[in-house]
Amino acid sequence: MLKLEKLTRRFGDNLAVNNANLVIPDGQMVGIIGRSGAGKSTLLRLLNRLIDPSEGQILFGDTDIAQLNGRELRAWRSDCAMIFQQFNLVGRLDVVTNVLTGRLYDLPAWRSLTQVFTPRERAFAIQALDRLGMAHTALQRAETLSGGQQQRVAIARALAQEPKILLADEPIASLDPMNAKIVMDALRDINRQDGITVICNLHTLDTARTYCDRIIGMQDGRIVFDGTPDLLTTAMAREIYGAEADEAFNEAATSTAIPAAMPVPA
Amino acid sequence: MTDIPMLGGSAGASGGAPRDAVAVFEAHRAELKASRRVWNIVALGAFTLALGLSIWISNFYPDRLASGVPRIFEYFGTIMPDLQWDVLFEGRTEDGRAVPGSLTFWYTDFWTYVELIWETILMAITATLIGTAVAFALSFPAAANLSPNSWIYWISRRFLEFCRGVPEILLALLFVFMIGIGPLAGVMAVAIHTAGALGKLFAEVNENASDRPIEGITAVGGNWFEKMAYGVTPQVLPNFFSYAMLRFEINVRASSIIGFVGAGGIGQELNRVISFYSDDRVLAVLILVVLMVTVIDLISERIRLGYIGRENFA
Amino acid sequence: MSMASIAAITPEQIATARATHPGAFGSLGGQVRRWGWLAAAVVYVIVSMWYFDFGRLLDASERVLALLRAFVVWEDMETWQYANIYRGIAQTLAMAFLGTLLGTIGSLVIGFLAARNVMPIRLVRQVIRRFLDILRGIDQLVWGLVFVRAVGLGPLAGVLAIFISDLGTLSKLYSEAIENIDRKQVEGVKATGAGPLAVIRYGYIPQVLPVFISQSLYFWESNTRSATILGIVGAGGIGMILIERFRASLYDQVAFVVLNVLVIIFAIDWLSKRIRLWAIGAKSE
Repeated sequence: MLKLEKLTRRFGDNLAVNNANLVIPDGQMVGIIGRSGAGKSTLLRLLNRLIDPSEGQILFGDTDIAQLNGRELRAWRSDCAMIFQQFNLVGRLDVVTNVLTGRLYDLPAWRSLTQVFTPRERAFAIQALDRLGMAHTALQRAETLSGGQQQRVAIARALAQEPKILLADEPIASLDPMNAKIVMDALRDINRQDGITVICNLHTLDTARTYCDRIIGMQDGRIVFDGTPDLLTTAMAREIYGAEADEAFNEAATSTAIPAAMPVPA
Repeated sequence: MTDIPMLGGSAGASGGAPRDAVAVFEAHRAELKASRRVWNIVALGAFTLALGLSIWISNFYPDRLASGVPRIFEYFGTIMPDLQWDVLFEGRTEDGRAVPGSLTFWYTDFWTYVELIWETILMAITATLIGTAVAFALSFPAAANLSPNSWIYWISRRFLEFCRGVPEILLALLFVFMIGIGPLAGVMAVAIHTAGALGKLFAEVNENASDRPIEGITAVGGNWFEKMAYGVTPQVLPNFFSYAMLRFEINVRASSIIGFVGAGGIGQELNRVISFYSDDRVLAVLILVVLMVTVIDLISERIRLGYIGRENFA
Repeated sequence: MSMASIAAITPEQIATARATHPGAFGSLGGQVRRWGWLAAAVVYVIVSMWYFDFGRLLDASERVLALLRAFVVWEDMETWQYANIYRGIAQTLAMAFLGTLLGTIGSLVIGFLAARNVMPIRLVRQVIRRFLDILRGIDQLVWGLVFVRAVGLGPLAGVLAIFISDLGTLSKLYSEAIENIDRKQVEGVKATGAGPLAVIRYGYIPQVLPVFISQSLYFWESNTRSATILGIVGAGGIGMILIERFRASLYDQVAFVVLNVLVIIFAIDWLSKRIRLWAIGAKSE
């Protein structure tokens, strides 16, 4: 169970995340919505401690994540995988090595620095890639893949970490509808079958409605909505998105609602 | 047409007469012009002063030049070999003497030169490898975006600046005093300078590296070394390689002159023939040095282009 | 399909993965290709250090200590002939200034003669370029040594050495700048019926002048730096003072001169950065 208490992050005078209180039980699939600059990304980065909180606590079980340092912090990051909008793969390394970087925390220093991985680790990486349908690209350089393929490799890297929580920061914002659907399906699959908590920033409302058990709405750093998708009324959504509402509701542009828009093969 | 309402508007805002704006502009313009003229005069004055002082200090007077310049041509005349076409390719006679006018006579010490040129190239390779290794290790702490903390950054930066700032030949002079005449002093001097020069360039390459892969490695729980090894190194390696090869070309030149102070290589021989003889031996060594530098440049360029080409098509 | 944890992976699963994706398991050849270069480099360095007698670095402790001591303990400082030292420094600055100035003037002429779009005769261009290659192929310090032999010890040899080596490099850079200009502006000037010199003055110069100025400033900086050491071969400047006192075993004075040289070098770096910023700023005004 992940519990945020009065979590706050300041950038200068700006409160990027303002007094966030949340309880997320294990195995939930949570979507965070809100317009750009609402603090979604900062919140996710705080959870993984890519950013340090200014105030407040992040409790996972009994440990306060906000206080971790050094090796313990790295242990937490390895338990709490993250997927990025721009994939953040190492473009010039091959795909399987990228996935193997997911194991770095458990490797002794001499093996990680000389890139020596055991057959067991390699087989595990291949399995993770296979699960995302990417095993055939194992020896290609990551930068030669399309965006959707890179995001699937990034998910495979996350799986290689054997995480307890999977954070996804706008995982489909840079993808076309077809790939967006593949990626979201994969995230749901991981959530349902492995029981991993998935917390996902999403820009489009319908994706959040389709895939998530629970939706959290953010506005100017504050959590303004927290509930199941059916509780999220259109009026509430307009309130959360403000001026960006039309864009967020424009399902054809950035949504995963591809099957309806595309002719279904017979 | 659009000027008029704007002028009126600004005049209205300032509350003065409408012509004020133009007058202010003209005054400002005149002021700018005048200040620029003053600066130009100051710059010209400083330049003339520097020129006059320089001529006076270095005794660069026309009469000295007039007597010196002919001597230059005279000197180049004396180092020309006296080759004769009919005996050009004559070998040595039975008693081991070379025929005057033949290539063999001109290049009597050919194999000594070749050996020294070989030593020069080895010195350059060793110094480049050592210097590159040090530069590589220091380029991460010396990059503003990667350094683990500010004092490590400060120390590694200053260290690299120092290594780069001291001229190679000065270092070589000190090393020759400390460890004696020979190529080791040259290797050390060139390696230290290389570490400084490459370290600064490498650090700049690191500062331009994309932070996305680094963030990716941070997020999987990688430590600082893993971030550098997986997040940064693959991105910057081709650039590092190109810079190291270019540095190798520079180091071949440096190794060829470092012998002037006794630090090994062909420079030692070059110094000897120029200082003690003024005959065709000077040109003989100079030709070999220029040839060596040119050939190394060509080879290095091929390797660089070959590597980059392979990178792009892989 | 859920994934087994890494600990639960069976040898059979490893064998299957290896069979379906043999490349992903790395091979001996791959490891050799990856680490072979590094290993070869390390072996080379070790062998060459042995060849260069690396052990001497460790034996040298006594002389190192003597030198280090001389660098810290300065004796009889009133007899050090400071005027001489600072005259040497002034000479160094003067040599660099004159050498760069002469090199710039010479390169202005030769640069145009070596540029494809100004000099139509291929043969002339080629001859000039090969000549420049030779000038560049010989190091400045070698030129210094040669000119010392030709015109004697002193700053004149240094000025000439800087001039000749700048001529080789600056002319090449200038001619490249000239070849890269915008042709339309030149045609505009030609269209007014201007003669060849007027075309150069109004068509070429305005375009290439900023490049020329920044290149020459950069060379002035680097020449000041190299002028500090030209004296080591007798070509005037502070280097000559340095080598004289070195030969006379006055190591504490050598240390003092070296410190002065370093101060000059860092000062020049700083000053030249300032001047370049100022020149660029003045240009964009």
